Amino acid sequence: MNCAEVRKLAPLYITAELDAARAAEFDAHLKVCPACMQELQRQARLDARVREALVAEGIDAVRMDRLVRKRIAADEKSRSVPARSAGRLAAGAAAIAAVVLLAIVGYRELPRVPRVYADAAFDHQLEIVQQQPRAWLTSAAEIEALAGQQGISPSAVAALSSGAYRLVRGKLCFLDRQIYLHLVLSDGTQEVSVYLRRSDGVPLSGPVREVANGRLVCTSDISREHLASFETPQLVALIVSDQSAEAALKAARFAATVL
Amino acid sequence: MPHSRSLLRVASHLGPGVDSAEDLVQETLLRAWRGYDRFEPDTNVRAWLFRILFNVFYSGWRRSRKHPVFVPLEHGASVPFGRSRVAANDAVAVVEAVESLSEEHRTVVLLGIVEGFTCRELAGILSIPIGTVMSRLSRARQALRERLAPQRAETSHSQASHLLAEREVSELR
Repeated sequence: MNCAEVRKLAPLYITAELDAARAAEFDAHLKVCPACMQELQRQARLDARVREALVAEGIDAVRMDRLVRKRIAADEKSRSVPARSAGRLAAGAAAIAAVVLLAIVGYRELPRVPRVYADAAFDHQLEIVQQQPRAWLTSAAEIEALAGQQGISPSAVAALSSGAYRLVRGKLCFLDRQIYLHLVLSDGTQEVSVYLRRSDGVPLSGPVREVANGRLVCTSDISREHLASFETPQLVALIVSDQSAEAALKAARFAATVL
Repeated sequence: MPHSRSLLRVASHLGPGVDSAEDLVQETLLRAWRGYDRFEPDTNVRAWLFRILFNVFYSGWRRSRKHPVFVPLEHGASVPFGRSRVAANDAVAVVEAVESLSEEHRTVVLLGIVEGFTCRELAGILSIPIGTVMSRLSRARQALRERLAPQRAETSHSQASHLLAEREVSELR
């Protein structure tokens, strides 16, 4: 794959829509072409900046939601209108309409997890379970310097390599179009992935499992991977284990305590 | 409603084609409710809603030159396009840069970068080939970069990126 092809396919690479073979070719090119690597990273930063700016805008949909429910109720009423008990039916229609509308726009959202979870699960599967070749850093000093370049305190990385866990390797990766520091920790028997990025004030959402050190820890299972996530004022952290939900949660508890 | 804020966010930056973002989203949700039997199970409901929004937007934009399409809100004034923001200077500059893009580029930025749709989903929402989505995204990113070029943050980011790229290459040697 050459530079022109990489530029052309970059939108599909960022959204993880390339098939495995072409994604591998893309990765291989990035490793030997600093210009394309730089271009892709600038692109990711620009995307994050745009997303952050627009998501931060104050959007208040409460009044509009109320008006939509009223219009749906009125619409329902006009379709089946008995003259005598119009008041009672209108109330019933409003309730039905609200439920139906929630079913339309809401029910699929309930089990939905952020795309970053799916990306993290996929990344862990490729790089940790399948051990596809990647350019990892193994020196703690180099990993800490890499963290510093991403606005992550090097001391946070050092803190993760303590207690029951040892920092094995690290590198950068894209999850949901944002750059994360991918750290691999080992407790001597199994490896877990810890993905870190500087917080941009946009919260991750997900089912909350517990509170650890004052952080809300969310958990999800995606395919064969088990995820746990939490945020601090400075960082967003995702932990992935291919072994068990308990292993992911245990690592999250540990990370929430030291970060 | 889980998707109404996303719909409103995109609608508020679409431009002067409709009277207000709230009216556009109201109409979108009403049509979704009326046409729910046409929704295909196991497909992306969020993409389906945005597809309706753009259908309404494009049809409303054409018709609104002749007569009004949307029902006025009952209380108060509609939210004007993208003007209810309280943001830092950089965020304001970024929003203004997005709003200065052509409609085609602004649309793919809003859906692809801000709302996180994939290229395939974008192609479905906008009814255009995926190759067109890719080229519009690339050109939109380039245009945004040019508009935001004097910003200090982007410059420092690119310097950091350059150092990082150097590091990755040197590691392979």
